Amino acid sequence: MVEILIKKEACRGCQICAEICPTDVLEYNAAEQKVFVKNAADCIACLSCTYICPSSAISQQDFHNVKNFYRDLEFSVKAKRYL
Amino acid sequence: MTTDIQDARKKLQQAMNIAPAISCGIEELLGRSANGMTFVAGRKLGKQMTASAKKTTDVEEALAETRRVLEEHHCLWHFEPFIPSTQKEMVKQTEKGAEIMLVFRDCMIRQSLFRYGHHQKGSLCFMMYGFFSGALENIMGKKTELQIVHTGENACLKKLIIGS
Ligand code: SF4
Ligand code: SF4
Repeated sequence: MVEILIKKEACRGCQICAEICPTDVLEYNAAEQKVFVKNAADCIACLSCTYICPSSAISQQDFHNVKNFYRDLEFSVKAKRYL
Repeated sequence: MTTDIQDARKKLQQAMNIAPAISCGIEELLGRSANGMTFVAGRKLGKQMTASAKKTTDVEEALAETRRVLEEHHCLWHFEPFIPSTQKEMVKQTEKGAEIMLVFRDCMIRQSLFRYGHHQKGSLCFMMYGFFSGALENIMGKKTELQIVHTGENACLKKLIIGS
C-alpha cells in the first residue's frame, strides 16, 4: 500500500491537494487548518497532490514509479542491460 | 556509430514528439471535434489489434485478453482494476451497465505529452479511450465506454462502462 507523508509544519491549509485527489484520500481539518490522510487505502499514487502542493509538504513511499522514455541516448546504452 | 538501442531510442523519441505535435495541431484546428476524430482512430486500431483475440463476456478475462494483445504488440499500457474501499466487488452494476474503475500506470501517451509539454485529457487521451472501447467491443461483443476520471503525473483513473 502507498504510504503518504504530510509535513504538518509545512502545510498551509490551502486544501488544493484534497480538491485534486480523485479518490478522496485527503481531508481538511478546520480546527488545525491542515490536511490529513483520511483513507490511504484508496490512494492510486497518481502524485497529483504531491506535484500541486505549493509547500512541497506531501511525499509518498512504496509506489510504482512510471517509466519514462525520454532519456539521454548515451544513458540508453548504459541502461540496456536492465531493459 | 550508433548502436541498435540508440537507434530504437531515437525512433521512439521522434515518435514521442510527433504524436503530441499532431494532436496539438488538430486541437487548434478542430477544437473539441479533435477528440471525436482521435477516438474513432483509436477505436479502429483497437478493433484491428484484437481481430483474432479470444472472445469472452467475462470482464476480468476480457481485460486480461486486452493486456495480452497489448503486450504482443509491444505496447506499454500498464493498467489494473481499482476497487474503492467503499465497494466490495470489482464490478459495480449501474443502470448504464457494469462499471469498473481502472488505474493506468505506465502510459506511452502520458509520457509523450509530458515530453512535448501538452496537456492531458486531450485528443491523444481520447485516442486511447477509443482504443479500449474498440478492443473491448470486439472481445466482449458489447458497447463499452472508457471515461477519463483523472489524469495525474504518475497514474490516471478511468471508468470503464460495459453496456448491458
Ligand atoms: S496542498 Fe500542501 S499546503 Fe495545501 S493543504 Fe495540501 S498539503 Fe497543505
Ligand atoms: S497520490 Fe493521487 S490518489 Fe494518492 S492522495 Fe495524492 S492525489 Fe490522492
